[in-house]
Amino acid sequence: MSFLLWFALQFSQFTVFLYFLAINTVYTVLIVLAMRDIIRHAYLTTSRVARRQLAGEFYYKPVSVIVPAYNEAAVIAQSVKALTNLHYPEFEIIVINDGSTDDTLARLKEDFSLVSSKKPVRLQVPHEAIRAIFKSADYPNLIVIDKENGGKADAINAGINVSSYPIFCSIDADSILEPDAILKSSKLFLEDDELIATGGIIRILNGCRIQDGSVVEIGLPGSFIEAMQVLEYTRAFLSGRTGWNALKSLLIISGAFGVFRKDMVVAVNGYRKTIGEDMDLVMRLHRHCKDNAIPYKILFVPDPVCWTQAPFSMKMLLKQRNRWHRGMIDALLSNRGMILNRKYGATSLVGISYFVFVEFLGPLIELFGYVSIPILYFLGMLNTQFMVMLILMAVFWGISINVAAVFLDTYNFRRYKKTSDILRLCLLSAAEFFGYRQIMLLERLRATLSFRETAWGTQDRQVFKQ
Amino acid sequence: MFDFITESRNFYDYITLAVLLLVFFNTFEILFLLYNKARVERSERKRQNLKRLASTALITATNAAELLPKPATEDEYAAYSEAVASVLDSFEGEIADRAAALITQLGIDAHYRRLARHRTWYKRGNAVDILASFRLKANKEFFLAIFRSETSSEVKYRIIYGLSRLVRDHGDILVLARLLSSLPYLTAKYTEDIFYNVITALKAAGREEEFGLFMRDTMHDESVLKMVKRDCLAACSAAVCEKGRATLLGYYAAFPGEPEILIASLRALAGIGDFSQLPAALKHPDWRVRLAALKFSHLCCTDMLPEVRAMLHDPNYHVRLNAALAFARSGDAGRAVLRAEESSDDRFAAAAAAYALSQEAL
Repeated sequence: MSFLLWFALQFSQFTVFLYFLAINTVYTVLIVLAMRDIIRHAYLTTSRVARRQLAGEFYYKPVSVIVPAYNEAAVIAQSVKALTNLHYPEFEIIVINDGSTDDTLARLKEDFSLVSSKKPVRLQVPHEAIRAIFKSADYPNLIVIDKENGGKADAINAGINVSSYPIFCSIDADSILEPDAILKSSKLFLEDDELIATGGIIRILNGCRIQDGSVVEIGLPGSFIEAMQVLEYTRAFLSGRTGWNALKSLLIISGAFGVFRKDMVVAVNGYRKTIGEDMDLVMRLHRHCKDNAIPYKILFVPDPVCWTQAPFSMKMLLKQRNRWHRGMIDALLSNRGMILNRKYGATSLVGISYFVFVEFLGPLIELFGYVSIPILYFLGMLNTQFMVMLILMAVFWGISINVAAVFLDTYNFRRYKKTSDILRLCLLSAAEFFGYRQIMLLERLRATLSFRETAWGTQDRQVFKQ
Repeated sequence: MFDFITESRNFYDYITLAVLLLVFFNTFEILFLLYNKARVERSERKRQNLKRLASTALITATNAAELLPKPATEDEYAAYSEAVASVLDSFEGEIADRAAALITQLGIDAHYRRLARHRTWYKRGNAVDILASFRLKANKEFFLAIFRSETSSEVKYRIIYGLSRLVRDHGDILVLARLLSSLPYLTAKYTEDIFYNVITALKAAGREEEFGLFMRDTMHDESVLKMVKRDCLAACSAAVCEKGRATLLGYYAAFPGEPEILIASLRALAGIGDFSQLPAALKHPDWRVRLAALKFSHLCCTDMLPEVRAMLHDPNYHVRLNAALAFARSGDAGRAVLRAEESSDDRFAAAAAAYALSQEAL
């Protein structure tokens, strides 16, 4: 065998090994930071503080809740109904029917007694033409915009232009906000003038029971795919985003629930039409503030909760993950000037580097690791004992990170109260490494190869479980 | 490339040990998770029961301290402090006095005073928050003492909040203002909240006019940030500081080039029913001042209609829209103006008028 081939194989093994160590170390550091942050948060967010917020009716900033909707006829009425129940002194709900081809608008008209409104719209950020604006005769703070199809980013931009308040919250149409979610997230804008964006935790609605637009019973969904997503979301939000918070490098505020200062979003020309519009916006906000020396903060807070419907079939899940990965690549490419650029500080050197080297290159390296096993075996170069040990370490290390995320959730928030649910989550922590992770890996690779595609694809919705 | 690692002495022993440690750690983690879940649920139940018991005893019995067990654990202290704070927020007179007395009788304040000196800042912050919720006069000196030795700004802001609820006279306001200015400006709402507490406390003590005096003294004090002056005015508005009318008018006259102070003064004045500055404010060069004035224009009188009508043609979107809405709220005369403006050559004014009329129809 040529020396070059031998060297290439050895080098690739070494790279895979280093990747394994690096990725697990990053996750461990994140979870330790998250643990510290969440314990601190638990101390400072007491019921006493909450009562003070509720009692102080003068201490709020009015909020516009923007809900882009495309073919959401199955869930839109319930979602909007839930929003009308929010505990907040002054807010408006702006639903944008983004050229739906189903009955979304008809459902809204029927359920909320919509009448035409002639509100003049100030064009601050670009979007497709608005066909009509409606107001609800039943709910004075509900506005519905009917516009030409332009995608989610475009729809939110239209909502921004129509909105009246200095802070806006964008949520998905298939999501349900907990009644105090706006109160908990917008209070941060009162506490810190430098805050320009914040996001709360997204939890999986599948398996929960809804009554009058509120989640009344929380349970782990029965199916493997849905339950696995509960674990993934818990890990991603409680250990991932809380950890990035501590490192001042938060790059994603989920499109399903984010609260923003409108003037800052207008300053960066609103959302860009892309499939990863949430990450792209946050990256541009970082860039704008650093470029213009504006002191700013972008934070994740773990207690405001938004419940969202997760894909319930493998096909839908893969489609979603493919879109997320393409969105991430697009956001990185679009903001490539921020990669390894000292001007952008920790955001670039820590946050963006993680996305480039772990999230973007990671799947390639991991796949290489899997592929190299049979090659090395046939070439007689495989150290089986070492390989087995490495896999065992990877699995057990991964499990401990997953269980730590479940622990964080159980320690502070105790959403899943049944012991059987928690034990199932622990079991899923191990099951993830045998098949599920590899399937997701392949989909992320497919997304990497087709990153130029901008299609969203359609998402099936289920009527919420009553 | 791995040879130097894999062929080193005891390599596999170490890696096996690492795997075993991970297995052990995972098992421990899961067991601890389950144990902790059970423990937290048990303590939550106990805490709720104790809180209920304490609340009932405070409301129904004259000797609550004798009926309640002395707190021993952190959870028990937390339960009592929540119950007491809730009673103090909801009741006055004898029941509130009993709740305040219970804090000392059961050693709750002593416990949190100890915690307010804890080495971890967020535990100190939490203890200060709890002490602040008791509103005990005796804590004033304690707060001042710990402020001097405190190193964390986060905790210092909380101490100032606690002190703001204990203000009794002009001297206390000055001390509070001095402490506040020793820290970096936090946020408008924080400062407003502090002064809201001050006004509320002074009102309760029947000395509301002392806040007006404080405002008058700081009006031309260069060492006080303009933002703080604005927040004081906002607090006057929130707390409806009726006895500060002269000072509020003074502020409006003294800062003609400061839109934020003008807006805060206008709001505070409107809150106490004084609309005398609105005509001038409607012509102010800054659109934010015009907008703030418009929000109250329908409340005062209809003789401002010509001034407001001119604002339907204002270059600013918000001013035009709010001028139209002001007309919509001004009865038949206002609606007549809007109907006339609907066919205006100025399409922006026409759009605003049409919108206001459609709102009116709702």
